[in-house]
Amino acid sequence: MTNNYTVVQIEVMMNKIKLLFVFMAMALVAPAFAAIDTIAVDVGISVFQTMPIGVVPFEEEGKIKWTTEAPHQILTRDANLSGRFEAVPSEQFDLVLFSKKRARQYVTGTATKLPNGKIKLDCYLYAAETKDLLLGESYTVKPYDVRQAVHSFFDKVVYRLFGERGVASTKLAYVSKIDGIKQVMISDYDGFSRRQITRDSSISMMPVWQKGNKGLVYVSFRKQRPNLYSITFGGKETPLFTQYKQTFSPAVNPKTGELLFSVTEGAKTEIYRGDLKTGTSQKFLHLKSNQVSPSWSPFASEVLFTSDRGGSPQVYAVGKDGTDVRRITFMGHYNERASWSPEGDRIVYTSMDDGKMNIYTCALDGTDIVQLTSNAGNNEHPSWSPDGKLIAFASDRGGNYQIYIMRKDGSGVTRITNGSENTSPTWSWFFDEKKAK
Amino acid sequence: MKTLLRWTLMAAAVALLAWGCSKEKPETDPSPKTAEQPADSTLNLDALIADTLSADSLARLEAERLEAERARLEEMINRIMLEDVYFDYDRSDLTENAKRLLAQVAEILVNENRFMVTVEGHTDARGTEDYNISLGARRSTVVRDFLIAYGVDGNRLASVSYGKERPKVQGADEAAYSKNRRAHFRVSIVGVEP
Repeated sequence: MTNNYTVVQIEVMMNKIKLLFVFMAMALVAPAFAAIDTIAVDVGISVFQTMPIGVVPFEEEGKIKWTTEAPHQILTRDANLSGRFEAVPSEQFDLVLFSKKRARQYVTGTATKLPNGKIKLDCYLYAAETKDLLLGESYTVKPYDVRQAVHSFFDKVVYRLFGERGVASTKLAYVSKIDGIKQVMISDYDGFSRRQITRDSSISMMPVWQKGNKGLVYVSFRKQRPNLYSITFGGKETPLFTQYKQTFSPAVNPKTGELLFSVTEGAKTEIYRGDLKTGTSQKFLHLKSNQVSPSWSPFASEVLFTSDRGGSPQVYAVGKDGTDVRRITFMGHYNERASWSPEGDRIVYTSMDDGKMNIYTCALDGTDIVQLTSNAGNNEHPSWSPDGKLIAFASDRGGNYQIYIMRKDGSGVTRITNGSENTSPTWSWFFDEKKAK
Repeated sequence: MKTLLRWTLMAAAVALLAWGCSKEKPETDPSPKTAEQPADSTLNLDALIADTLSADSLARLEAERLEAERARLEEMINRIMLEDVYFDYDRSDLTENAKRLLAQVAEILVNENRFMVTVEGHTDARGTEDYNISLGARRSTVVRDFLIAYGVDGNRLASVSYGKERPKVQGADEAAYSKNRRAHFRVSIVGVEP
């Protein structure tokens, strides 16, 4: 325990030192950063080895008016957000630059405006030195769907170079305050293509993705108490588990789609498991304490949850059959909303100290604690990207709550929403390849 | 148009009533025979308007009575809804102040059995949404249990948690936090939707 504590202290100290350097750097080049909406404050120690990749603007045939950004801008953003790459932008193919920056590959393409208003995108991945074509994809899309096509191409680039699925085609669900009322929204993982899902006069919150991304489960206060609802993207809405008065904290089983959720009866809050389709449910944990925030392990063999059995909220793990409870977090007086990395090796959670919330990760046994956020307002509600490389979270560091993405080591913090308050991001699952087409 | 008609009818009724009263006075004097003649001629008319008259004034009286009752209930509801029960940070036990206030509320509820009360549990902005819903639930239940122990019928008391979703005061300091860690009463009257 003392050991853990020292580790974290050192982390925090290092963070502070890093921050100091960043501020000094910012002071020197402040004007250059003014127009960029990426927050250049890194906390945590970067363990990422990012791969430089050249990005060259597409050749355009016919004057094309892009609805949001040009394809190379979307690719640059995807590369820098991915946690795998570092974009090396160049106005044209420039072997000297690419060699100097160690970019062994580059992406580019051609865009053609078709008479029917659609845009044809031919996207290429080349080896920089030999100019060998490594990957070529063609998309013919409406102007509004350009982002989706480019994201799809980028994920193919990730697969070609890493043999792993990328997250550029994934989405986020979150909560936006619209006219003072919390509503559930979805958007692309990078914050673009926002879509409002609920339009209620009462609070909607805590959205999570159903298995296969078919819809969401969320909490609505329309009956003046918290209740779970399911909504499909076709718009069909169903109240869930109406046998209980107050239900919240939904968590979807990644294998079966089954739900874990909190039920409040009187003063006691406990975790139940239920089937979305049949509506049947039973108590999951038989403990004297209160339990909230369940979360499944990637293969649904274990469950994390928060309990106040020790007098303060702490993270515990338990087998999927509800036995073998063990405590994970010991440091501090408030550790909550843990979630298991899709890679299976780490747990991310929110910890509160002196009224401020920050995001931490630890190993599965609670050791090796790393503080990912510090000295930047409140940081909460971490959610893993499905490839486990990134964490989306909500922070009020900029004055009001907005959604940010960072790498799993706390580096590369990037704001992806703006405007009125945005909170509670939940990352989608991977989208089915066939459906993506 | 309808109200105008009603007012006209009412005015007529009042006039007739006044006339009827003035008619009655001479009846008490020692010459009943002379008084009988005009009384006889107005008897039909009196009988005709009697129904309207009594029904109308009764309705008015009833409306007046309901209005007074409504105002009284409203005042009581306001008294209950205006006062919140405050809690210490991350706590759901009742302070001495809270108990004093709850005793007053319980007194009203015991004497006025038409009130249905929903006890809302709220928390300050610190902590997660999830944990705060469970904390708010503990607060609302403690308040509900106190009222039941005082003698209020549990069937008239519901409890619900809003967690940190409905702060009374905006702000990120103790002044705001302390006002937001509360149990709030929502009152409706039996048979009337809120």
